[in-house]
Amino acid sequence: MQPATRQEQKAATRNRLVNAAMNLFARHGIAQTTTADVARSIRMSHGTVFLHFARRDDLVIAVIDEFGRRLAVEFRQALERDLGLRAVLQAHLRVLAAIEPFYARLVIEAPQLPPKVRSTLLMLHAAVSHRLFIAFERERKAGRARKIERPLLFNTWIGLVHHYLVNRDVFATGDSVIAEMGGTLVQHFMTLIKA
Amino acid sequence: MADKCPSCDSCGMPLEKPADYALGDVTRPYCSYCTDARGRLLSYAQVLETNTRYYVESQGISAAAAQRMAEALLADKPAWRGRH
Repeated sequence: MQPATRQEQKAATRNRLVNAAMNLFARHGIAQTTTADVARSIRMSHGTVFLHFARRDDLVIAVIDEFGRRLAVEFRQALERDLGLRAVLQAHLRVLAAIEPFYARLVIEAPQLPPKVRSTLLMLHAAVSHRLFIAFERERKAGRARKIERPLLFNTWIGLVHHYLVNRDVFATGDSVIAEMGGTLVQHFMTLIKA
Repeated sequence: MADKCPSCDSCGMPLEKPADYALGDVTRPYCSYCTDARGRLLSYAQVLETNTRYYVESQGISAAAAQRMAEALLADKPAWRGRH
């Protein structure tokens, strides 16, 4: 194996920081986790964090961006193959399930996040809404869904998912409320939009 | 986990495929939404308006809050950094 280039090493360090931050945010909360905590958890010097992220908020945004990147990959596959709205909803839940503890924290802390971070999260929601609506419109044109305005379509779905995530301690008997309830939520939503 | 995905220097939109870039040219720093038909960056007011509208149309966020969010989103993007 060839030795990693400087750029590859830099990318690997950045990825380690993003992964470590995601784990600590999930465990201790976003507001409660410092950049020093993140560095310490992977035995890295505190200064290294700032070589990659000028400010703490930039690290939080990088974690949200990573989540967005995973969503984009899943959605692209579901939309390009025209697998239908149900597959798009399932793709959304699949990504959320993989980062469930972090995402639940993000939802709980969202109103208190700095505007720069919150605006990034809401832009990610906007992208989900956009893709959800593309799949929904295909259902509607095929006569399988009734007319619903785009904001309410998205807010109904995300409101449902977020309610279960925020209260995951009382809805789930195991580690993942999405693993336990995801199928029910998708089925319920598909019933709600039916023509 | 993949390396950092390139994103628009104006609005931060992920640039995943050539069609996302201005004029479909992957060497350009801006997305197709932040540029005109000749690939030139739109004005700050135009980019702000596009992003504000995106927040409103996607989630029903109030116009005032959507504009605040759009301002926060653009604030430290390379194209607009240090504008204030």
